[in-house]
Amino acid sequence: MTSQELLASAHVSAATRAALEQRLADTGAAYEPQLLAPETYRLLEAVAARLFPQPERPVPIPLAPAIDQRLAEGRADGWRYDALPPDREAYRLGLGGIQEIAHSLFRADFETLAPGQQDAVIEALASPTPPGKTWETLNAGRFFEEMLAELTETYYAHPWAQDEIGYTGYADLPAWTKIGLNEKEPREA
Amino acid sequence: MPDEEIAEEGVISPAAPTVQDPLLRDLLAENETRPAAETPQEKPLPVPKAAETVDCIVIGLGAGGAPLLARLAQAGLKVVALEAGPWHNPEKDFATDEKAQDFLFWNDERLAAGADPLAMGKNNSGTGVGGSTLHYTAYTPRPLPDDLHIKRDFGQGEDWPLTYEDLAPYYEEVEQFIGVSGPSPYPWGPSRPKGYPMAALPLNSAAQLMVRGAEKLGIKTSPAPNAALSARYYQEGVGWREACTNRGFCQAGCSNGAKSSMDVTFIPLAVKHGADIRPNSYVTEIERNAKGEVAAVVYTQNGETHRLACKNLFLCAGSVETPRLLLLNELALTSGQVGRNLMAHPGLQVWGTFPEEVRPTKGIPGSLISQDTHRPKNADFVGGYLLQSIGVMPVTFSGQVARGRKLWGQPLRDYMRQFNHIAGINILGDCLPHADNYLELSDEKDGRQVPKPRLHFTAQENEQRMNVHAEKIMRDIWAAAGATDIWAFQRYAHVIGTARMGLSGDDAVVDRNGRAFDVPNLYICDNSVFPSALSVNPALTIMALSLRTADKFLENNK
Repeated sequence: MTSQELLASAHVSAATRAALEQRLADTGAAYEPQLLAPETYRLLEAVAARLFPQPERPVPIPLAPAIDQRLAEGRADGWRYDALPPDREAYRLGLGGIQEIAHSLFRADFETLAPGQQDAVIEALASPTPPGKTWETLNAGRFFEEMLAELTETYYAHPWAQDEIGYTGYADLPAWTKIGLNEKEPREA
Repeated sequence: MPDEEIAEEGVISPAAPTVQDPLLRDLLAENETRPAAETPQEKPLPVPKAAETVDCIVIGLGAGGAPLLARLAQAGLKVVALEAGPWHNPEKDFATDEKAQDFLFWNDERLAAGADPLAMGKNNSGTGVGGSTLHYTAYTPRPLPDDLHIKRDFGQGEDWPLTYEDLAPYYEEVEQFIGVSGPSPYPWGPSRPKGYPMAALPLNSAAQLMVRGAEKLGIKTSPAPNAALSARYYQEGVGWREACTNRGFCQAGCSNGAKSSMDVTFIPLAVKHGADIRPNSYVTEIERNAKGEVAAVVYTQNGETHRLACKNLFLCAGSVETPRLLLLNELALTSGQVGRNLMAHPGLQVWGTFPEEVRPTKGIPGSLISQDTHRPKNADFVGGYLLQSIGVMPVTFSGQVARGRKLWGQPLRDYMRQFNHIAGINILGDCLPHADNYLELSDEKDGRQVPKPRLHFTAQENEQRMNVHAEKIMRDIWAAAGATDIWAFQRYAHVIGTARMGLSGDDAVVDRNGRAFDVPNLYICDNSVFPSALSVNPALTIMALSLRTADKFLENNK
């Protein structure tokens, strides 16, 4: 069953339904960046669109708002690589550094590049020695890992992404009784 | 460092007694008498006088604080527990959703340094009435007796000042009380007078696959001991607790009370016997009297500052906040060991894709165990490890794929589409203390204006060799079970050892009964007191130590 069917069923608890429905309600809604400057936010959106290309969806799963919101509220996840500056600074510097790579490789802003060129910029970011002054002081490997992990966890928390991977674990009421290999309940089909 | 302040007669600031140098003392006094900085600052409200003196304050309500709280309350003492986080109603509040459950983790930022920086937050740190047990896996194997004597057997690391026999009665008591499900008899270690109170929980897909692979390699496996109920169970102070429904969300909070976290076991028992639980209470200062004894604790609750006087303090805030409070308050520091000896369990994971449907969230995450690798015959390292099958939740798994495989774009989406065919296996291995691995206070302040802790961790040769040994075995097991696209994710779990227990105040912070060598009415109980990491998950041992700490305290304070 899909998330749409499961959320309407008695297999999902009220707390679970509230969390997932909020994510659906935020999808496609206009978002004004609260912390990042508008141009920096647009760059983040463009990078997120290459890390999670969603050509099949007229409305994509939103990824950049979660980062901007978290930074605006000053929330953390309990730890930070000591090699990186505080999160707000790391994102500002890192996104600037991505722009620097784009200019170094293609002499143009990241947002204006063709998808293949954008991918080449990200590959350079993920490489051991990305071009640009930013990366002389900002640890590119750790920055890329942190940004990718945050976007990835945002993506797979969304009911549509969970449908995509066939995950139905949130529909856990009243219980799972078939838990072995190749076993599933009707609602998991 | 807290501001110098004279709170009330006889109570002096934490910093004062440690200033021995007369010149420095004069300088400090001079600074005191100087007018304040030119820019007028908001004057903090004076901390109110303590309205009452209680027998014991317990800071932290996880596996270290909750059992002893119950024991002390049962003995008729007036006890107050200060817990930084809130008191939840799991049935109503806990969603089957990883992001929504984020509130269970200690999310104040810690700085992770060294060559193998330790992930904190959801990886190992909790907050709330119940502490990290709200999101522990509830994997509860006992250590094997030689785990406590790594130095005796290998000449490296540190021995416990306790033996397995000292702890065995407490293991049994905890297992029987909280309700551990597991195999009886247990296949490894000495025979036990009593088996587990309940049969083991059912094996899930990952466990079945591990049985299949391990059998082909001649490795013995067993259903794991796990503190989640395989049947309804009667709990003193709680009533009947329901059986596990195989949600598989143990690490994001159990919503039906089947998992034996402290909030459904020792804490209700403590409350029944009169313990006063104060949630949302963040401790800012530990005050001492002229004799150097703990006199009072200052904490903030819902924006208000309180002072509570006590005869004894039990510090059970976990292996980061415990040493942090000691360092901030310059308390119990003479051994030089506070913050040192930081250890973390090698928790290397191996993942594979199977032709069968696995659906890896269902059932308890750690369904199967093997301790055949406890002391491997061909080992080129000290100590050993246990093997376990693992389940995983989708968001956690996706984050690990991003970090571990660095996949992005279409390849990441393609890989994640196999989620229902993914199964994992991991180790939990011993770790040796090393001078390079320690916790310190950084110059950077957190949202509460308190210095952030910085944790230095670099896996040394012994951990690296153990990882290599374990990765080969796990890859072999997964290949024998039929996995393809096998990959390893390097991970370290549990922070241990930052206020260790020992025989002498020269090289340890607390004695074998958990009492601080420097401060006669200060006791510490959590995984910071572990002298060595042990090759098993720590929670059961923390609970056992907690009961023992309370018993020894009661014996010595008759």
